[in-house]
Amino acid sequence: MATKLLTIRNLLNKPLSLLMNSPHYIKPTYNLQTFSTTPIASVNFFNKLPAEKLWKSVTSVSNAGAKKGRGKGAGRIRIRDLNRGQVIGVGKINMLWPGLSAPVIRGRELLKQQRLPDDPERMEKLIKLRDSMTRFRRLKLSPIERGWSGSRMPGRSIGPPDPVGDEEFTGFDTKVLQLRSLLIMKGNLGRTRNFQAMVVTGNGHGLAGFGFGKAKEAPSALRKAKNRAGKKLMNFETYNGHTVFHDFFTAFGKTKIYVQKKNEGYGLVCHRAIREICQAIGIKDLRAKVEGSNNLQHIVKAFFIGLLQQRTHQQLAEEKKLHLVEFRQENSYYPTVVASPSYVRTKDEIPKDETLDFINYVMNDRVILKRKKFPRFYETMPHYEIYLKKYEKYRNHERIRLNLKTEYGEVKSFLTDKYPEEKKDEEA
Amino acid sequence: MSLIKLCQNSTKTILFKCTESQGLYISARKLSIVPSIYDGENPAPKFFSSGVQIILKRLTRPNFEKVFRKRTNSNISVLRTPVYKFLTDEELKTEQSNAYKSAERLLQMPPVVKVQEPVDDVLSKDPALVGYDSSTYLFTDITHGVANEHRLIIQREPDGTLRSCDHDVRKKLNQIYFPMQGRKLRDPLVFSDPEKLNSLLERQKYEYILDRACVQYEPDDPQYQKLTSITYQHVDMNNQYDLIRSTRHFGPLAFYLTWHNSIDNLMLELVQTGIIREAVLLMSLRQAIKEDLVNGEESTALVSEILPTRIQLSKPEFVSEEDIQLDTKCMECLDKYINNNSAMKSQQGLALQGFREYYQQLIEISRGLQKAHGNA
Amino acid sequence: MPLPPATGTGRYYAIAAKSIRLIRHGCTNRPFFHISVTHRRRLNSQPVIEQLGSYDPMPNMNNEKLVALNLDRIKHWLGKGAHVSPPVAELLGLSGFFPIHPRSYMTAWRNRRTERENQAKEKAEGSS
Repeated sequence: MATKLLTIRNLLNKPLSLLMNSPHYIKPTYNLQTFSTTPIASVNFFNKLPAEKLWKSVTSVSNAGAKKGRGKGAGRIRIRDLNRGQVIGVGKINMLWPGLSAPVIRGRELLKQQRLPDDPERMEKLIKLRDSMTRFRRLKLSPIERGWSGSRMPGRSIGPPDPVGDEEFTGFDTKVLQLRSLLIMKGNLGRTRNFQAMVVTGNGHGLAGFGFGKAKEAPSALRKAKNRAGKKLMNFETYNGHTVFHDFFTAFGKTKIYVQKKNEGYGLVCHRAIREICQAIGIKDLRAKVEGSNNLQHIVKAFFIGLLQQRTHQQLAEEKKLHLVEFRQENSYYPTVVASPSYVRTKDEIPKDETLDFINYVMNDRVILKRKKFPRFYETMPHYEIYLKKYEKYRNHERIRLNLKTEYGEVKSFLTDKYPEEKKDEEA
Repeated sequence: MSLIKLCQNSTKTILFKCTESQGLYISARKLSIVPSIYDGENPAPKFFSSGVQIILKRLTRPNFEKVFRKRTNSNISVLRTPVYKFLTDEELKTEQSNAYKSAERLLQMPPVVKVQEPVDDVLSKDPALVGYDSSTYLFTDITHGVANEHRLIIQREPDGTLRSCDHDVRKKLNQIYFPMQGRKLRDPLVFSDPEKLNSLLERQKYEYILDRACVQYEPDDPQYQKLTSITYQHVDMNNQYDLIRSTRHFGPLAFYLTWHNSIDNLMLELVQTGIIREAVLLMSLRQAIKEDLVNGEESTALVSEILPTRIQLSKPEFVSEEDIQLDTKCMECLDKYINNNSAMKSQQGLALQGFREYYQQLIEISRGLQKAHGNA
Repeated sequence: MPLPPATGTGRYYAIAAKSIRLIRHGCTNRPFFHISVTHRRRLNSQPVIEQLGSYDPMPNMNNEKLVALNLDRIKHWLGKGAHVSPPVAELLGLSGFFPIHPRSYMTAWRNRRTERENQAKEKAEGSS
């Protein structure tokens, strides 16, 4: 715009007759296309107002609009820093300015002001940089780093707690279980926002603890929680290093958890927070069912209480004054005595109404609700029976094909060799 | 019948005699094993006689940790959760006795019988049926409640002859109409391909081979007897008796070795590991089967004394006075056997001498201990 | 969808005449027969009273045709006066349970005759 104005001023300064009479000096068609007779105001709001106000006029939303939710989400216009990428001393014309864009002395040479070859891509790069600021992009995480959902904190690992003095938490890892914002009213400040974090930390070999942290900012809340968790470590023994000692029932408030001991290879089939806790402790196989309230803090507390209240096999045997015997299916149910008390009761000494069933005893006579399994919705429909009848004759085909492949290396039988002409027809 | 031919052969493989057209041969790094089957005298009466059965079961040396070891053959992807029970002393005892019963079932020995004879009985001949059909008709009586070996299976041949089927056809048809789990219609590649069998033998998967053979074949099948014979000899050559101890195959192995006069390696192993009571049992087994021992009666008399004692899983570490008496008798008995009947006199003699010295120390230690405890 | 049991699912009337016959199962170009006892006036597609065996008319790779017969139950139904259809009677004859069916002999000598004729024809063609 400025250059255009300049040319016009130049033109105006020169007498029109001169222009007309000197065709050898300036071509008569020069700039005639851009010539305009409209009055030109050299001052407008672009150079009168500061950038801040200009941007505000673009991005601001009226009160009524804000109430309707305008100016939020993906379509929101954002303030862009148009000076980004611009460096003093570097411009459209690629000049070398000693002392500004280059050192004064290079080696023993005194650098001189000079023009360098033009960089044709400079403008494109600048425009690209400006465009990249238009949309807000969410932080993308790799599936390994990701927590329970997207780029949010719960479920993500935040490293071991900070060392206390010289003691370092080697082998520890901390998982965020909960990060939420709390709003509190204050007399002079009004409504203020606080962040609360709950994390669990553990070394995967029995040591684990959980902690809470509150702060004005999320990262500091997480740090506080992590360091508190590191100070409240508890030791948990595991059965053969892979599961809990026995089934147990545990509750906190309205939250009830039924935990079942499982054999190797079962995995962790439970609430995601319980899974993170188990991984922190080093429990590999377990099933847990949460009933009642799903309050996360209650679940965590209840599970930790349940783990702490476990009894070893020896303790159980001593409580009951009976042998505790293990039967494993993979060992053909051979009775292995896992714990024997110092004194064993005889049959006459056991009262009639005593709970002798192991599961009932360790679960405090609580029983897990087993829902009735209903047939799948399609199984009662008439088409399903038709489908079953129709595919009845294909029931063994897959296996037969596999057997033929193992025997001959392809799907063929002795009849294929007997009737070679049939095979040729098929191929053709 | 020579049992093990340790012939250092320049050609690595030897084809052994095989009734079938397919030549099954075994090459084991210059050592070739010639399988021998029970085709002479019928071994069944001796194998099933109660005295021999008791000795064989005792020689198996059942170790419950091994008998009930972890087996993952139940076709479930995840192991079942263990079951726990609170038991009183009596209940525990009944449970254990139940376990012993199931152990007996797990350790049931595959029978040792004479190899089957080919079936050849023509039921009728009808030349008027020639040309009726170009293929054989196989008729199987699928009446319920008939055992596989008694099932009526006959064939009508294109020339009109009606005859009973031979064993291989019988086996196939029995498997078609009354399938046995784990048995295949065709021989599995492990048994038909000598290379594969050989690699299994070299990896010392004896129990696997023997179990698989038990599933696939009947005990009177010549193929079964060949396979087991090869495996037993391989075990014997490599002194790997421990691998099939406390499995159901040890009894047939001991019986096989005794039947074919080659118990010397096993005897040497028993004396070296210091379990001389079992060595005496092995002697009496030989006496029961072959009756060629000088002091046969003496060993047979010792059996009744040995059987009620506890099973020794390893070298004794403490002995009581009764043990000393019994073991001394055993050593005397063994000494006579080694001098008169053994083919490995010097080695076995040395091993026995070593055991004697060890035992002398053991006696002193135990007596000293008893004195120290004030029980002497 | 489990297969119907060998004991059969068809309704049974004590007085109605029974027949032991081949009932075609299998699919296109691959016949397979059940030997079943059913009411004489009943269609082959209807449920049978009891299955007594099976017959695979296609020779297997060893050139054998497999026949299974539940002789115990066949005897029982014969005792009850069941009628036997000719193909089943032929199979039972070949198995030696019945005397050989005349039709088997007829098929045999007819086959032999065609064979002879073919040979003669070939010879004639060869000589000419």
